[in-house]
Amino acid sequence: MSATAFPTVLPASIDAPADALAPQRRTMLAFLVWGFSALMIGAMIGPLQALNYGGVNAYPSLTPLLKTYYQGLTIHGVLNAYIFTFFVTCGLLVYLPARELGLMPNMALWRGCFAAMALGTLMLLVAMFDNSSSVLWTFYPPLKGSAWFYLGMTLVVAGSLMPLPILLDLRARWKARRPGEITPLVTYMSLTTMLMWALAGGGALIELVVQLNPWALGFTDTVDPIVARTLFWWTGHPIVYFWLMPAYVSWYGLLSKQIGGKLVSDPMARLSFALLLIFSLPVGSHHQFTDPGFSPIWRGILTALTLSVALPSLITAFTIGLSLEYAGRLRGGRGFIGWFTALPWRDPSVAAQVLAMLTFIFGGAGGIVNGSWELNNIVHNTTWVPGHFHITVGTASALTFMGVAFWMLPHLTGQRLLSRRLALASAWLWFTGMSVFALGMHWAGLHGVPRRAWVSMLPRSVYDRVYGDAHLALILVAVGGCILWLATIAFYTVFLGSLATRRLDRRPAIPFAQAFGGRESYALDGGAPVGVVAHPSVSKLARALEHLGLITAFTALATAAAYVPIFWPFLQNATAAHGWKVW
Amino acid sequence: MSESAASSEFEDAFHKAAERHERVWVFVAVLMLTLLLAGTMFLVVYAYGVVVRTAGFRRDPAAIEAPEGSIAKTGPNAYTVTIVARLWRWSPSPLRIPKGATVTFRVTSADVLHGFAIQGTTVNVTAVPGITGSVSYTFNRSGTFNIVCNEYCGLEHQGMLGRIVVEGDPA
Repeated sequence: MSATAFPTVLPASIDAPADALAPQRRTMLAFLVWGFSALMIGAMIGPLQALNYGGVNAYPSLTPLLKTYYQGLTIHGVLNAYIFTFFVTCGLLVYLPARELGLMPNMALWRGCFAAMALGTLMLLVAMFDNSSSVLWTFYPPLKGSAWFYLGMTLVVAGSLMPLPILLDLRARWKARRPGEITPLVTYMSLTTMLMWALAGGGALIELVVQLNPWALGFTDTVDPIVARTLFWWTGHPIVYFWLMPAYVSWYGLLSKQIGGKLVSDPMARLSFALLLIFSLPVGSHHQFTDPGFSPIWRGILTALTLSVALPSLITAFTIGLSLEYAGRLRGGRGFIGWFTALPWRDPSVAAQVLAMLTFIFGGAGGIVNGSWELNNIVHNTTWVPGHFHITVGTASALTFMGVAFWMLPHLTGQRLLSRRLALASAWLWFTGMSVFALGMHWAGLHGVPRRAWVSMLPRSVYDRVYGDAHLALILVAVGGCILWLATIAFYTVFLGSLATRRLDRRPAIPFAQAFGGRESYALDGGAPVGVVAHPSVSKLARALEHLGLITAFTALATAAAYVPIFWPFLQNATAAHGWKVW
Repeated sequence: MSESAASSEFEDAFHKAAERHERVWVFVAVLMLTLLLAGTMFLVVYAYGVVVRTAGFRRDPAAIEAPEGSIAKTGPNAYTVTIVARLWRWSPSPLRIPKGATVTFRVTSADVLHGFAIQGTTVNVTAVPGITGSVSYTFNRSGTFNIVCNEYCGLEHQGMLGRIVVEGDPA
């Protein structure tokens, strides 16, 4: 399968010949830089939206670059939620497993993944910056953007699925050499994430290929809005796990090593990922609790399933929390809270990730509210919702990726990080800014302030009459946005600056963690003789969870079972809606 | 005793405690989620009116049945009103109803997606082109309620506001 000139088993230590691993590092760096460049543009626009809620309308001064709030919001959402996350994830989830297993990934496929998504990004940028497609990141028809938008989106989604065959190939090659052993943890988690995403991506791909592309290109006149919306949320809910699971990969698979400890439970990490695969898929329509057209019985089932998806995250909270405690106690932390303060807070990568976890405690709790059917009525499409996802994907994931970048940039380039202090400052500013912003957004949402609304355009009297109750909350939103501006500037000074610093004597290694009862790391014995290596304690649970094919098949069936009854009435009662370009 | 032996002893003890606590935690987590589910379902049954039901489909979103925006009295203090969302207004608005009235809102859109939310209540319905959704709500408090569009619908989305005036006895 692999037609590469490189040997398939590579010594993975830092002293390996540079030429052998250099292509992997270069490709990973390309994914990282492209992804973070998208976030840079998106994050610079973000505070404008926060100021909007505070009643400050900055857009008139920005024409012709940005014509409207809605154009800025579309760019912000698409670049941050899709381009940033997809690039970082599709890089990390190939690079880390390949290095963990000591095998060369299929470079042609991996570069193809980059090329498809990069081309898609350029098409999206054209469609968004010319204001032809200010349809926001959810692009609900019958709002009709330009064909460049939908075709670009199609390429990005299709490209993001390409790591799956790379991972399946890596795992198969490794298994063939080590029969009877279970998949190493980081590879297991990465593969589970990609299997989940492969099932999830189907919804958006069908929506784009069957409905939106032909419609935007003029082959069809009308579109069925509710079918498109339901297909979108088939992908749109599991996508939150596609954002989150790579952060979990870092928390489970790397962070324990970075803080000088061990992962307290390898089987629980696997169980969390298997449960995330199963439960994240069938629940997408809980984003449609307020939509007419399908039976209340299914809303009840969706509620139960949605609460179930909280379980793997609660397990994660325990396992990661305990791993932090173990490391903290090893470092001399005593008492009820001493282990937490004893963590290596001066390491910006650690600080960023632990702060990301803290935020996620609140993000997860808010998510349970959103999933609780009727509580959702109070918060649905209010500022509560973006408040929620800015402390989940916007912090739990994004700040973790920033933390990963702090060790990974020196690892990939062999150059030092520009400034440890500035990196630390950016993490704390991001954490503080997001906390203030999200507090304001959640609070304003409870006063019925709608999300995605250019409220600063309203006459002052109307703004005060309708949203006056939320005044203090909306000021917090604006203040949080300004702090995030500082965080963004600090982070990108470090990120871009680190691409042009002096060389290190020694390339830092990937911090693969060791689990209790597990071996040091598979990555360290790349190139060693292949054979069954007695594993000290392989739990029954871990062995049962090796059957990823079965778990995926079961999930596919459950997803079909959940969606047939939802789609049925929509397909029986089709709507033919014409497109609207109204921005 | 060497340092590594001490560290290994600590690790073993920590590991044993971890496994015990892990089982307790999983049990507590499942219990908590079960209780939350029970609470959620109770709330749904208690206030079933605001659960969105389906009141009809039509092929052409613009083909709204006349008379549009009418208010029909269906009981002593019960009304049914068809709310039509259009770029960028609600009809009928303002809507005047007496205090204590139970109003069934039949909500639909004639063009793109809109969101029908009544500020300060639990009424929140997506106005979908081609589908009519239905909820009921009893207004026990007099005053003016804002209808806010909460689904992005284009350039004037923020200005798509309506009003419900609940006229009550001052007593």
